Amino acid sequence: MIQLGTSTRGALSRERDVREAYAAHSGELYGFAVRSLGDAGLAEEAVQETFVRAWRAGDRFDPKIGSLRTWLFAILRNVVIDLGRARSVRPGVAEGGIEPSVEPLDEALLAWQVEEAMRRLGEDHRRVIVETYYRGRPYAEVAEELGVPEGTVKSRVYYGLRALRVVLEEMGYED
Amino acid sequence: MKTRNECREWRELLGAYALGHLEGDERAGLEAHLEGCPGCREELAALAPVALMLPHADPARFELAPEPPPELGRRIAATIEGEKERTRQRRRRRTFGGFAFGGVAAAAVAAVLLLFVFGGGGQDGSQPVRFTDLPKGISIDATLEPHAYGTEIHMYVHGVPSGTLCRVWLRGADGASYPAGTFRYRWGDDSDAVLSSALDISRTRAVVVDTGKRTFVAPVDPEVAAVKNANEEEST
Repeated sequence: MIQLGTSTRGALSRERDVREAYAAHSGELYGFAVRSLGDAGLAEEAVQETFVRAWRAGDRFDPKIGSLRTWLFAILRNVVIDLGRARSVRPGVAEGGIEPSVEPLDEALLAWQVEEAMRRLGEDHRRVIVETYYRGRPYAEVAEELGVPEGTVKSRVYYGLRALRVVLEEMGYED
Repeated sequence: MKTRNECREWRELLGAYALGHLEGDERAGLEAHLEGCPGCREELAALAPVALMLPHADPARFELAPEPPPELGRRIAATIEGEKERTRQRRRRRTFGGFAFGGVAAAAVAAVLLLFVFGGGGQDGSQPVRFTDLPKGISIDATLEPHAYGTEIHMYVHGVPSGTLCRVWLRGADGASYPAGTFRYRWGDDSDAVLSSALDISRTRAVVVDTGKRTFVAPVDPEVAAVKNANEEEST
């Protein structure tokens, strides 16, 4: 019998599934790997290892427990820890590259999530949050620069935070 | 009772309030409204955790969205394909040691197992050889099988451009090269090329593959080859 949408178990056991998972999630996984490892080469290695491990363990993936994205991030997290350990015994690896992140891994994951969510916001929303919150500029000054009333800057901050919440929820964030 | 419009005006201040940016009358007015409006309190409760997450981010990174290099996907596909092929080869040849994917330790275990198997009079004379120092994304494996005419070589190459002509030969203990033939790598083809050389496996010291741009050499352990050969002679 031919079953349609048989993605209940073993969702990554076929190469086509790996390709689809790669198309959907590689950008995010790579972004987080770069963020936490601070090195593009190591990040590539981490993403490659993540998909190979996911393919090997494909039969064990159960979408009833969590999404494919969450599962891949959990694997990547372990890979990053392994790579970090390997790097600590081979201190020469990161030489000449970008400084590796010194943040604990979960802090790096949280930071990356917020940064990725900010990137996905519309330009208007991102701009007012960056100017008022991160740069600490007065609302009146930002309003003048943007050529809009101060009330509009405030409402954009509100709609921006709402949009940020929606994006974070799409990325798997829960209260 | 609050009108929808009144609520909207206050509500649009909730973002600035959640970020701690509201002062004076505006702040006092909003707080008074919140006391009497469960809907707006609920909205504030939804925004507060988001506001608490903001300090974790580094705004300098908002503009940076690193993209994985385009060849990474192909490299992963090639790695998985290579691993599948090795599994198939292991099953096909019923070799105990086989060639576990990656890792010097795995190769060492394979070599020890082979010694064991052949020392104990195993029937399978194949010997995996390991290519090290390969560039990222390229995988090459070879398995040698002893024959009366010489040595059969099963070659598996992945990750070079499709259509690449690969020349293979064996290097003998005497330092001379013994041609084993050529094959062409095709993207999507996961079969191994079967080649042969007149050089006896016990006198083989290395497998050499030339892909046109680069030459790869894998050493052949003379001890394993010698044990294998003795075993071959016993069984014939």
